[in-house]
Amino acid sequence: MTAPPTGHEAAAAAVSPAVTGPGTSTARRPGRRAATLIPCAVVALYVLVALIGPLLVPYDPVHTPLEDRLLSPGSTTADGSTAWLGTDGLGRDVLGQIVHGARTSVLIGAATVGLSCLVGVTLGAIAGYARGWVDAVLARVFDVLLAFPAILLAIVIAGAFDRSLLLVVVALSATGWIAFARVTRGVALSLRERPWVDAARVMGVPGREILRRHVLPFTVGPVVAMATLEFALVVLAEAGLSFLGIGLPADTPSWGQTIASGKEYLETAWWISTLPGVALSLLIISVGILGDQLTARHRHGRRSA
Amino acid sequence: MNDSSERRTGRFTGLAAALAGVAVLAACSTTTSGGDTEGAGGGGTGELTAAGTYPIESLDPHGAQGASTGTQFAGQALFSRLVKPAPDGTLTGDLAESWEPNADVTAWTFTLRDGVTFSDGSPLTAEDVVASFDRMMELNGPNAGNFPEATMTAASDTEVVLTTPAPDASIPGKLVLFYVLPSGIAADDTAFFNDPVGSGPFTVDGFTPGETLELAPNPDYFGDTPATDRVVVRNIPELSARLTALRTGEVDVVWGIPDDQLGVLEGDDGLTVETVPSTAEFTMWFNSSVPALEDAAVRRALWQAVDFATIIEQLYPETGEPATAPVTPVVLGHAPQEPVAFDPEAARAALEDAGFDFSQTLRLQFANAEFRPFLQAVASDLEEIGVRVEPLEKEQAVFTEDLLALNWDINFQQLATPTFDAASNLGRLYTCDAARTGYCNPELDDLLARAGGSADEAERTDLYGQASEIIWNDAVGMYPMTVSIAYAWNADLEGFTPDPSGLPDFSTVTDGGS
Repeated sequence: MTAPPTGHEAAAAAVSPAVTGPGTSTARRPGRRAATLIPCAVVALYVLVALIGPLLVPYDPVHTPLEDRLLSPGSTTADGSTAWLGTDGLGRDVLGQIVHGARTSVLIGAATVGLSCLVGVTLGAIAGYARGWVDAVLARVFDVLLAFPAILLAIVIAGAFDRSLLLVVVALSATGWIAFARVTRGVALSLRERPWVDAARVMGVPGREILRRHVLPFTVGPVVAMATLEFALVVLAEAGLSFLGIGLPADTPSWGQTIASGKEYLETAWWISTLPGVALSLLIISVGILGDQLTARHRHGRRSA
Repeated sequence: MNDSSERRTGRFTGLAAALAGVAVLAACSTTTSGGDTEGAGGGGTGELTAAGTYPIESLDPHGAQGASTGTQFAGQALFSRLVKPAPDGTLTGDLAESWEPNADVTAWTFTLRDGVTFSDGSPLTAEDVVASFDRMMELNGPNAGNFPEATMTAASDTEVVLTTPAPDASIPGKLVLFYVLPSGIAADDTAFFNDPVGSGPFTVDGFTPGETLELAPNPDYFGDTPATDRVVVRNIPELSARLTALRTGEVDVVWGIPDDQLGVLEGDDGLTVETVPSTAEFTMWFNSSVPALEDAAVRRALWQAVDFATIIEQLYPETGEPATAPVTPVVLGHAPQEPVAFDPEAARAALEDAGFDFSQTLRLQFANAEFRPFLQAVASDLEEIGVRVEPLEKEQAVFTEDLLALNWDINFQQLATPTFDAASNLGRLYTCDAARTGYCNPELDDLLARAGGSADEAERTDLYGQASEIIWNDAVGMYPMTVSIAYAWNADLEGFTPDPSGLPDFSTVTDGGS
């Protein structure tokens, strides 16, 4: 797991030589272009599953048909339906848990990234544009918070209160916003010296307006790339919290909980932990690659502009 | 660009180096443990390693941790007590050779064994026993609660008398929790337990709280000196790691194994697997002081609504048996009651008749993750008849605090009766004064008091039977299942007997095995 301190770095460093010139090389080779679409397609699939999957695959975490417990993938349950991905130690469908867990993960990922982004970009832009003591104070706050290990802080916050979805979002946002703030501050610092910002200032445009119309639009590129990578980390961190049993309430399906409930059965019923684990890895890898691609595109776009 | 790609290369090199380092470390640890095992095997009676269910946090048997399984285990290895339970639950003498009550059962006289010495060579006298009892009462830990206002005096060098204000026939049973230390140990003397002096079969060779306890045989022990050179008790919290360690030979004995893992272990030729009926019972008290559960009809209906037979058959096929009384059959005072039949329709009808509010959510509190599947299955069955139950898994300290504050609707505990006597279970927990369940019945109080004051075993069993009937029929709680403890040990180990309390005695092991 990459902590936010390296998150900023990752956004910059993620531009690998292989993806450096997508604009030029992909134009020549259509095959590669299709390959670059795969992560995008996978992520889209997860979002689709999260949106409509729960409507198609019913799952009730409270209902435990014990006679169906530990069925292997493809078995027929007592009520005649097929457990395509097997059942867990209490007879609950693993496919249902993965589909409903996808909704939880995507929801928490989106909400946390949204909240972090809002707070981080606002504070970062203010710090970078205002400079002076405002910047000094805010930048030090960023630095101090960076010193906290993100997952530890999340565990402390999530462990101290009653479990709920909102609490998990807050706990994960608590350090998630700093990466956004640092990136935005960096961009804002260099933008405020550009001629068009000077021009706007000379013409008497109010500071808030300059920030909104002449600075913020230019931060969109790096922030979107950042958000994608952050999304992957948040999904992973949420699964980690649920695995430890301090994240979501027991009746909210989550990949982390399913993986934890199957860890005693790894030898006899591998599917309980393995399949949600595969679902989690696939999402995180795809989002990571997508983030790299966005970073590359943003860099390329800025250089040619 | 160059800069960032260079940084990446650097990072990969670092990663590769780290991985190589891990590989080397892993190789080292494998070699070391392999060497240990071989060395022990060559010696014949070598080192025995055990991994129990619960950690040993403290060695002080009189202190706040005194009732915990880990401290009890350490206590029986390091110290002696007046009486101890035999594997079948009857009491045998340890330090005491004989004991008898006076006519009205308010004073018990224990005659001590001759020639017992502590591991530092000093003799163990009645004075040490009295000093230890006073220390236990002064520290007022959980075990002191069994002896309210009791006093102990030394009648002679080899006789002690325990006097209680009210008649108490269960005194010998309760004394299995009382360990004798040398006199002169102050209540707050923690330094003594760094290298404790005792009269048990073992002495301490090293102790890290919550991690390991290393034991060496005590040559001055009055019984047979243990044959093993060393016993190491390790705490491996993660179940799968514990079982892996057993199968690789890293540990020799493991107990408290869930049913789902027994199949795999039974298939292993190098292991012996056995389950022993314990004194522990799944006990699910209803909080009779909350308005929703005040009515006995409601409590009975909820019990009726859960298909415990199926749950036990599916989740605990080997270590669970449907319970027949509030205490298990190995406990004195057990009297079988009429089983509660599973009937969801009747349960729903009874709840509707009693005006039960189906919109509320009942808080079902419990402390250990191992019980989560069982309680989820119970919640599922209750949901079927429209009763919403929320299983709340709490951290042990929070659980205990809420338990005593009656801050729950249904409380789940795996309740053991370590004294093998219903007095310390029924007699202690179900009186109006105890206020543990919110249930109060003067008739029950009277029965329990009479049972506690009678020295006649048949009469006590009869009185506890009547008390059990009231508890059972008024559904003070649900009593679904009696628990067996599953042990698995290295087949080379000779002379090991599984213990019904989960406190195995390693002094009887004659061959350390691997």
